[in-house]
Amino acid sequence: MKKVLFKNVLLTAALALVPSAGAATLVFGANGDPVSLESANITDGISILVQRQIYDTLVDFKNGTTDPVPGLATSWKSNANATQWTFTLRRNVRFHDGTPMNADAIIFNLSRWWDKAHPYGFRDQGRTFEIVGELLGGYKGDASAVIKNIVKVNDYTVRVDLNKSSSVFPNVIGSGYFGIASPTAIRKDGAKYGTPASKAVGTGPFIFQSWRTGDRVVLLPNKLYWGEKAKVDQLVIRSIKDASQRLNELKAGTIDFTNDLTPDALRSVQSDKNLVAVKRPSFNVGFMSLNNRNQYLKVAKVREALSMAINKKAIAEAFWNGLGVSNASFVPPVLAWANSSKVPSDYKFDPAAAKKMLADAGYPNGFSLDLWYMPVSRPYFPTPKPIAEAIAADLSAIGVKVNLKTEDWAKYLEDRNKEPGFDMYMIGWTGDYGDPDNFYSAYYGPNASDDINWNPPELQKLLEQGRAATSQADKAKAYAQIHEITYNANYRIPMVHSNPLSAARTYLKGWVPSPLGSEAYNTISLVGKK
Amino acid sequence: MGSYLIRRILRTLLVMIGISLLVFVFVRSIPGDPATAMLGERATPQAVKNLRTQLGLDKPWFFNPANPLDAQYPKYVAALAKGDLGSGIKSNIPVRDELGSRFPATAELSLAALFFALVIGLPAGILAALRRNSVWDNLATTISLVGVSMPVFWLGLLLSYFFAVKLGWLPPSARLGNESTLEPLTGFYVLDGLLRGKPAEAWDALRHLILPAIALGSIPLAIIARITRSSLLDVLGQDYVRTARAKGLSQRTITLKHALRNALLPVVTVIGLQAGALLGGAVLTETIFSWPGIGSWVYEAISQRDYPIIQGGVIFAALVVSVTNLLVDLSYASLDPRIQYR
Repeated sequence: MKKVLFKNVLLTAALALVPSAGAATLVFGANGDPVSLESANITDGISILVQRQIYDTLVDFKNGTTDPVPGLATSWKSNANATQWTFTLRRNVRFHDGTPMNADAIIFNLSRWWDKAHPYGFRDQGRTFEIVGELLGGYKGDASAVIKNIVKVNDYTVRVDLNKSSSVFPNVIGSGYFGIASPTAIRKDGAKYGTPASKAVGTGPFIFQSWRTGDRVVLLPNKLYWGEKAKVDQLVIRSIKDASQRLNELKAGTIDFTNDLTPDALRSVQSDKNLVAVKRPSFNVGFMSLNNRNQYLKVAKVREALSMAINKKAIAEAFWNGLGVSNASFVPPVLAWANSSKVPSDYKFDPAAAKKMLADAGYPNGFSLDLWYMPVSRPYFPTPKPIAEAIAADLSAIGVKVNLKTEDWAKYLEDRNKEPGFDMYMIGWTGDYGDPDNFYSAYYGPNASDDINWNPPELQKLLEQGRAATSQADKAKAYAQIHEITYNANYRIPMVHSNPLSAARTYLKGWVPSPLGSEAYNTISLVGKK
Repeated sequence: MGSYLIRRILRTLLVMIGISLLVFVFVRSIPGDPATAMLGERATPQAVKNLRTQLGLDKPWFFNPANPLDAQYPKYVAALAKGDLGSGIKSNIPVRDELGSRFPATAELSLAALFFALVIGLPAGILAALRRNSVWDNLATTISLVGVSMPVFWLGLLLSYFFAVKLGWLPPSARLGNESTLEPLTGFYVLDGLLRGKPAEAWDALRHLILPAIALGSIPLAIIARITRSSLLDVLGQDYVRTARAKGLSQRTITLKHALRNALLPVVTVIGLQAGALLGGAVLTETIFSWPGIGSWVYEAISQRDYPIIQGGVIFAALVVSVTNLLVDLSYASLDPRIQYR
């Protein structure tokens, strides 16, 4: 009897020491903490990822693609020259605080981002909404601003007038930065909105529960969600900065899925029977920029020779572990329709021909130049230094002596634009929305970096045409020409379009990673998670 | 004692004022500003210029001839005088709030690491001194060497892989389990679990604390063991110890009552210095173990050039180190009655 009693006491004590297990808690390992939960006031991927669960955007994208589909707007149409966009809103949608989503709410959000004088923009308290300046040309009253006016047509129709034609406006406004928040919640919390001291309120599939900075964000399913309802009882987004530790957590089963593992983790994931490797569709480009100010690099034949001398495919295979493709396109494979059929897949890797080309250009003995590599890891260049070393080795084979250099990231970004700039440097881009304009304008557009000192008017004209084109055929035609010009110029040499490595436990089903970097987790279920 | 204390506090205040000025100038002297870091790959000259204006970074540092108060330092000092350390440039989260929530995490980890270092380091040092040139001495020396030379990030990952992934005994990282519902009270989660009457949560927090504490405590452990050994060997060779032996006292009494107490003075100094170093040196451990403390937060802010966070973090760390050193200095008197404060 005593023995049984003692056993029971022990069992009870042991049970008391074990935290209660929730029925279905979905745990994501993010590579850091969100910066803010206030939409349009962020540019980092983790903030977008968390906001994607809480907020909806006017325009959404089909799972796993960059194809626009209805979000909070059920339909949208433009006038003939794409200077007016009219959005018809979804009815009977409410924010998590119970207030209605309607034209007033949409206008409130758009206006506070765009209008610097908006009383709820809190610019005097540190808000910058810099992404609006970046993607939409500027703010209310700016000559360069895309948006001219925002008009309420009726309770469920909003019209946005533009200063210039833009066929990509719905894609831009659908990007993850622009989640629609509850005006009531913003008015109530004021400048605290978006910080951990406030509750982020949207219409999305998950409801904000808590945020412990540096640790985790906890969300609960929105039972009244207008779309596909979440299949878990709780979503925990944990901040785990170190990629090796994220893999450890996944292997230990303390997280269910994660993003941004390094390519060398692929074999470790594949060899674990409890895990499945998930390759996110590529939506980036890693490239080398060549400066026209450099006495050697301003010669077209030299640039072509350099491109020809670098064994890009071998480098992609070695450093991306098969998680990337190398081709001659500046846009990722999902936007391949924007490529020109006249451009070959890439230059043939041919050091002998490249060496001859250098000699023809007047440099039979080669020359010396600096190659700057990034001090930080990005999906498009996960291990910049060894990649730079491989490039340097290839170039040395044709007589080009490369001095490898790097410096602090913020200084690197600053110095590339200073006179005379870097000779040659590594950089890249991850897209925001599914249009070639997002790639080409970022590095060749009127406001692009001054790093290559080459910006022909012809290219600017074509970029304008691409943005304004309302038919797919016109658009494809404009970008095909841009592809040809940029490929032949060789000022930016595409190296790779990588597939960022994600991974999940095998019991996790229904996850469809978006090329745009983040997706709502309402499609995910946990089948047989113990 | 009273006047000594007042003098030390005033000196600490002066140090704080000096540090506030130095950190203000230093962070702004580093090339690459917050606007560039915020914009990342988007940092074109025009975009950086626009954002600098929006953030007020284009204003003079110390004196604006058009409006003397409209300069960065006067605004910073005026806010500081009111206890306002500003808000994160990117996050808009008040620095004071973040310090309040992150300091307990760093302090809990540092205390646990120090506890681990003392519990292992002190006996190891004593044993090595008492059994000089024995297997124990060699073992303690080897452990010290390994502790000092092994990089913390590597040790952390190794511990996590072995104890969490392979053996499944301990969680790989974080402060609490995924389904924890613990509401912080003091911010020291082990304590909070007990105070809230949730022993399971306290146990959960303790389990999460073990691996990072070992990783962070490895270097102080090695240093404490080495200092204890050399200090104790020095004391054991003193005349008064020989006298005690001649009097026929047992080795145990000689060691614990006479030698150790005197040998502890340099050890306490090192512990004080290590406590400061732990707070600053927790950066890697916090990053590896996803520990939401001050170290990883300030480190991230440095790469982002988030001035208010760097300034607040440095001022706070300086304050903690100053206070710790003051406490160490005050503890000398209890160890050595000859020491008096004037």
